[in-house]
Amino acid sequence: MARPRIEVLDSEEVMEIHVRSLNILSRVGVKVDHGEALKMLHNIGADVDFTKGIARIPEYIVREALKRAPNCVRLYHRDGKQYIELCGWNTYFVVGSAAYYYMDLRTGEVRRPLSKDLADVAKVTDYLPNTHIMSTAVVPADIPEILADRWRMYVVAKSCSKPIDTGAFTMEGVPDAAKLMAAVIGEENIGRKPFMIFAACSSPPLKWSALTVQNLMDCARYGIPAHIIPMPQTSGTAPATLAGAILQANAEFLAGLVIAQFTKPGAPIVYSGSPTVFDQRFATSCTGYIEVGLISAATSQLAKFYGIPSGSYTVVSDAKVVDAQSSLEASFGALVSVLAGINMAIGSGMLLEENCISLVKLAIDDDIAGSALRFARGIDVDAETIAERVIEEVGPGGLFLKHRHTREWWRKEHFIPKLLDKRTTDMWRKSGSKDLSTVAREYVEKILKEHTPEPLPPDVEKSLSEVMLGIARRYGMEKLPEV
Amino acid sequence: MVSTKEVLLKELREATINGDSDEVVKLAKKIIEAGIDPLEAVEKALVAGVLELGDRWINGEAFISDIIAAADAMKLGLSILKGEIAKRGGSISYRGRIVIGTVEGDIHDIGKSIVASLWEASGFEVIDLGIDVPPSKFVEAIKQYSPDIVGMSALMTTTMLKQRETIEAIKQAGLRDRVKIVVGGAPTTEEWAREIGADGWAPDAISAVELVKKLLNIR
Repeated sequence: MARPRIEVLDSEEVMEIHVRSLNILSRVGVKVDHGEALKMLHNIGADVDFTKGIARIPEYIVREALKRAPNCVRLYHRDGKQYIELCGWNTYFVVGSAAYYYMDLRTGEVRRPLSKDLADVAKVTDYLPNTHIMSTAVVPADIPEILADRWRMYVVAKSCSKPIDTGAFTMEGVPDAAKLMAAVIGEENIGRKPFMIFAACSSPPLKWSALTVQNLMDCARYGIPAHIIPMPQTSGTAPATLAGAILQANAEFLAGLVIAQFTKPGAPIVYSGSPTVFDQRFATSCTGYIEVGLISAATSQLAKFYGIPSGSYTVVSDAKVVDAQSSLEASFGALVSVLAGINMAIGSGMLLEENCISLVKLAIDDDIAGSALRFARGIDVDAETIAERVIEEVGPGGLFLKHRHTREWWRKEHFIPKLLDKRTTDMWRKSGSKDLSTVAREYVEKILKEHTPEPLPPDVEKSLSEVMLGIARRYGMEKLPEV
Repeated sequence: MVSTKEVLLKELREATINGDSDEVVKLAKKIIEAGIDPLEAVEKALVAGVLELGDRWINGEAFISDIIAAADAMKLGLSILKGEIAKRGGSISYRGRIVIGTVEGDIHDIGKSIVASLWEASGFEVIDLGIDVPPSKFVEAIKQYSPDIVGMSALMTTTMLKQRETIEAIKQAGLRDRVKIVVGGAPTTEEWAREIGADGWAPDAISAVELVKKLLNIR
């Protein structure tokens, strides 16, 4: 059965990029701003310049790290029962994470988000059928920045049952997250049934910050999944050529993989990314360029070559409002993601070059995701679907509408969008001649009014709040704000 | 205790909604055997089931093929229960009787069939003359069935002219005052309907239901 798939590199090109990556790691090396990690790299055989903080990693170490990496990463739902498998050609859509701004649902104003807004994003995502992974989507402004990373996890874990893509802005971020997860699923399940995955972004070119390395090593120790996110920016912090940007991203990924796999063999790692195009005209870092799709498809191919799950920020848009641009950039990205088998297609709901979350875009992106996933399912050709017998029964001039086959298969064969308008012009006029953004906004308002996510059991909720309060107390807060 | 009658009526209603013709036929026979009032079965199960599905469709909870299947199942059920109703000296009360067809020279079936099914689903008795129906056949049908409404479909700019011709034929036969005439189909417009002397026009299937209700002063 042919499934629609794309490859943007041939196997020789994949090998070429792999070999060049090994060259760069062993000859140029990566800068690692983390003493413990440098010592570890030195101990395993890397050539480390401690004064410059640069580690040159030989080929055999990279090979060993690749051997240790799991093929499949499981992300659990909060209940510890349902899970998602990041592997093969499965694509899951992920809400964009850590936006500094939020687009107000009613006024459309772009403003700093509040914790209540984050809870709303969690609630809407909990409902949306084609958005599979929630994220700590925004950085709330109503909580001290020093603990905002963990506060986001707490708010989201309370309002959404789906897995959570998150990240830590502090050295204590991951150990504290482990405590929060332990309150929900039990300490013994932190690594067995994790419901969070952490972003670990390298700092291009060829640099790993102290904070990211700490987070990555902590995740490995706990067995918490992490996705390594190289962020090549063509012509800014990476070569202007796509192949060059891909090569650099791959080298950065492999360096991160070595750190994780030598911290703890078998660490669950996803080969993720957030490529951007540095627009020479405006000095902007753009996420919605079509080349972002090409780079993402290429890194997904490399991930498959290595047998490691993949991800990329592909559903983002550079548009400043929810409009045709935001929908078409997200659509291209979603389609590329499913065709290239990107396991985590990240960025649902995101506008403004990853800086803003919009619930209206999130709702539209859910229809886009559903459409893309349907496309990827391809065409089933078997005795039942080929319908020769049905065509014979209906005969020339007949009507399929009346045939039993139609009733059974129409709904099975089509992705039926929630928001995209398919009615007659007259029906559309009668219901107010609304454009897609308006329809999406009303849909979100309805979800917020009517949907109640499965609450945490009272005892779990209580211990989760206690853990959060314990964290807040370290920063002098005696009470948790109401959400 | 739930009575046999309640159970059977509920099952018949479900089978109608599911468009399960075989089951509807089986249950209709059982209902007659059990001595249940067949008129009640028609109203509370067959018609009620199709009406419910019509509402679901308007709310986006059912598909058009479900309605057509339900309407077909209803018709089969009716054909079985009709005899029994007549035996008991009763008759089925519809909201109105409509004759429908696609005009001469036009073999498009789908729009006409959807409208016919929706009318049936809304409680009307529909006599479907099929496709490529010449004006003379419309005239005969009016004489034979005395409908409240005649509906004409045309899908092509060339065949929509036949709608005018058919209306003229009905006028010449002296039957124009006895029926309301409605027209529809992709190339037609409200203005066209007025120009050829029709009583109403609808842009789509849902509006076609509203249109006939309005013409017959229903609700």
